[in-house]
Amino acid sequence: MTKSRAFRQIRRYGPFYIMALPACIYFFINNYIPMGGLILAFEKYTVSGGIFGSEKVGLNNFRFLFQSADAWIMTRNTILYNLAFMVFGTSLSIVVAYLLHELKSTVSRKIYQTVILFPGLLSIIIVSYLANALLAGDTGFINMHILAPLGLEPVSFYSEQKWWPFLLIFIHLWQMTGTSCILYLANMSAIDPGLYEAANLDGANRFQCFFKITLPCLVPTIVTLSILSVGKIFNSDFGLFYQVPMNSGAILDVTQTIDTYVYRGLMNTANMGMSAAACFYQSVVGFCLVMFTNMLVRKFSSENAMF
Amino acid sequence: MKRKMMSALIAAAVGITALAGCGGNAGETAGNGENAGGNENGGAGGDSASGTEVSQAPAGEVERIKIYVPTSGKFDDMDEVMAAVNEISREKIGVEVEFHAYEFGQWFQQYSLFLSGTEDIDILANYGGYLNAVSQGAAYDLTDLLPEYGQDIIALEGDYLKSGEINGVQYAIPIYASYAWNMGIIYRQDIVDELGLNEQVAAVKTLEDWGAVLEAVKEAKPEITPFVALSGNTAPVFQYGTWDDLGNNYGVLMDGGASSEVVNLFETEEYAQLCGVLHDWYEKGYSSKDIQTQTDGFQVLIQNDAAFSTIGQTDFNTSFYQSTSCGKDMGIVMLGEPVARTYNNVTYTVMSNSEHPEACMKFLNLWISDPEVGTLISYGIEGKHYQLNENGLGCYPEGQDASSCTYHLGSNLSNINRILWESENPDYADLLVERNANAKKSAGLGFSFNTESVTNEITQLDNVCSKYQIGLECGALDPETTLPVFIEELKAAGIDTVIEEKQRQLDAFLEGGN
Repeated sequence: MTKSRAFRQIRRYGPFYIMALPACIYFFINNYIPMGGLILAFEKYTVSGGIFGSEKVGLNNFRFLFQSADAWIMTRNTILYNLAFMVFGTSLSIVVAYLLHELKSTVSRKIYQTVILFPGLLSIIIVSYLANALLAGDTGFINMHILAPLGLEPVSFYSEQKWWPFLLIFIHLWQMTGTSCILYLANMSAIDPGLYEAANLDGANRFQCFFKITLPCLVPTIVTLSILSVGKIFNSDFGLFYQVPMNSGAILDVTQTIDTYVYRGLMNTANMGMSAAACFYQSVVGFCLVMFTNMLVRKFSSENAMF
Repeated sequence: MKRKMMSALIAAAVGITALAGCGGNAGETAGNGENAGGNENGGAGGDSASGTEVSQAPAGEVERIKIYVPTSGKFDDMDEVMAAVNEISREKIGVEVEFHAYEFGQWFQQYSLFLSGTEDIDILANYGGYLNAVSQGAAYDLTDLLPEYGQDIIALEGDYLKSGEINGVQYAIPIYASYAWNMGIIYRQDIVDELGLNEQVAAVKTLEDWGAVLEAVKEAKPEITPFVALSGNTAPVFQYGTWDDLGNNYGVLMDGGASSEVVNLFETEEYAQLCGVLHDWYEKGYSSKDIQTQTDGFQVLIQNDAAFSTIGQTDFNTSFYQSTSCGKDMGIVMLGEPVARTYNNVTYTVMSNSEHPEACMKFLNLWISDPEVGTLISYGIEGKHYQLNENGLGCYPEGQDASSCTYHLGSNLSNINRILWESENPDYADLLVERNANAKKSAGLGFSFNTESVTNEITQLDNVCSKYQIGLECGALDPETTLPVFIEELKAAGIDTVIEEKQRQLDAFLEGGN
């Protein structure tokens, strides 16, 4: 009986399985087979030994991540910046998406959307030079054309730590809001217009519509996206943290993240095992966090959980 | 329910892009490498059809090896040149070669990948030290092959070959280049002439004395930054100081390696004093407030009339070299006497997974000793890629220049067994031999530090240095307050362990060597 049921299932969904097959193969080759390389994290890699035959060194490769005095600083930075990106990024994207959604003229909506999206298409190198043009000490726009005419002291941005948490979050939002608001915008268009009509009839104002209709409808998306970003909380946008501060040493305490630390430490030594250990650590912690968050979500509002 | 499906779908889509992004990032170096490698192979494969045809003729016992090198030059006609090289090498040593050249920027990104042994490489050029190749087990032990097939190299380089040796094992073959360097000031001679500062410059003995010249330049030419960093914001700024850095700055021999006691450079008075001078210049405005984030190199700034002087490594040929590459008359002031140290620039290693180590050694020997091969690889085919001028120096053929010439790897990968280029000092070869022979020698000459047992410490030290070193050495940070913190963090990161290990290895080296 079960057999015939399974058979029926396959017959019924067969075409879908076939359609999904290329994607499955892709993921298997691209994302699953390379996982075998994780073994590198526990080895002292040598060319003659190869990936699987090199000497095993246990957890030795992980030592450098925790031994350093900077371990706490980089972990703190990575997590706090990512949390800030999540909170501010999500709220800003939703607000911007809502504003765009409320625009009645399609032409102006398209124009605004393109303008907001554009920074996301810029290479981070260009962004870092744009920032440099604004912030540089001698020639920067802020120092030369804003502070100097006002008679204020010039600010040395690249050696003062206090500016950077703000600057990095600002630059990230400026760059990413465009892309992330598309998702919310798409979601908003899927909300049944009847709900708004009904609310209008009952005399609800815009704010009430937003908080009582739009936001609740977006909750599943917000939750899913948040779970996904929690999974990457130990990874950071390398370009943002490495390029934009122009590799300035004085502000490392607020710009160093796990990725930049690993890069700075291992670029010169080209140690495969230690780099692999760092990635291993990031992905394992990320994986655990995804499971954990999802578990929490399932507990408190099971319909929003991912799995 | 529908809503949930929708959100799940979107989430899946985002997840996929995110994953794809992740995969891309994680494998970036690898991915790029493979792609670029692929292109390189593909490109070469395409054009090399002719090359391979020629070389297929006498097949049989001819071995074929692949050499990977970085270059700032041109290599469009690589296959044609290699066909000419192969004709010689096939006849003389029964080896055919295939060169794979990469632009410098790309090279440095892919070097780690080359070291990982996943590409089919026989000989690898190492730029700025080969220790990583050794610690990854990527360097073939050449100890036995060298005397057997490398007689010409031994005759030419003699003791300097020790630069390629660790614990008595010959891992790398350095090219014969200038070994005696010292830190010095590189400046624009034409500005000094114009302002009549020659006497003042001649009186400069220490870095501190240079301040007066900078002051004069600042007064007379406010549009020019008197002092800039040599290569943008990369440390160390103090290269080839009066100390021998023994491969990295963690543990050095002071006074040009007069004694063999390894000390902590950053704790020395000399270092504090140098940082103090630079900080003083920074405060007085001789250097830009943005020197910490300077991204352009000295030569670019000079070419654009934006800078006057810098500090960097100098030897007998520096003013000549800088003048030709900057296109302006450049002068140098050496701060002390040049000392011969372990050569850390271009070395060649044979990959440990190469199937033709003997052929590699034979070819290196030919490349480093045969003038015909040396010239071919550096400058291409006479008449097509270069010609000889009336002084017997190489120059671009008529109607061609550096940008239109289709092959010109340049001189920095080769030995002196080649014609000299017109931009070179005509006496370069003789001067080089003479200077190398007569230079004061550091006690650590030939010593290479094996970092394997202190990798953890070095990773941390590198990170501490990226925090303070550039700032201190370009003057942006005040050494009075910062240097003690820097030293403290270095200690916490384990610099003493590294110094101890270095001392141990150096003692062993000196014992074994003498």
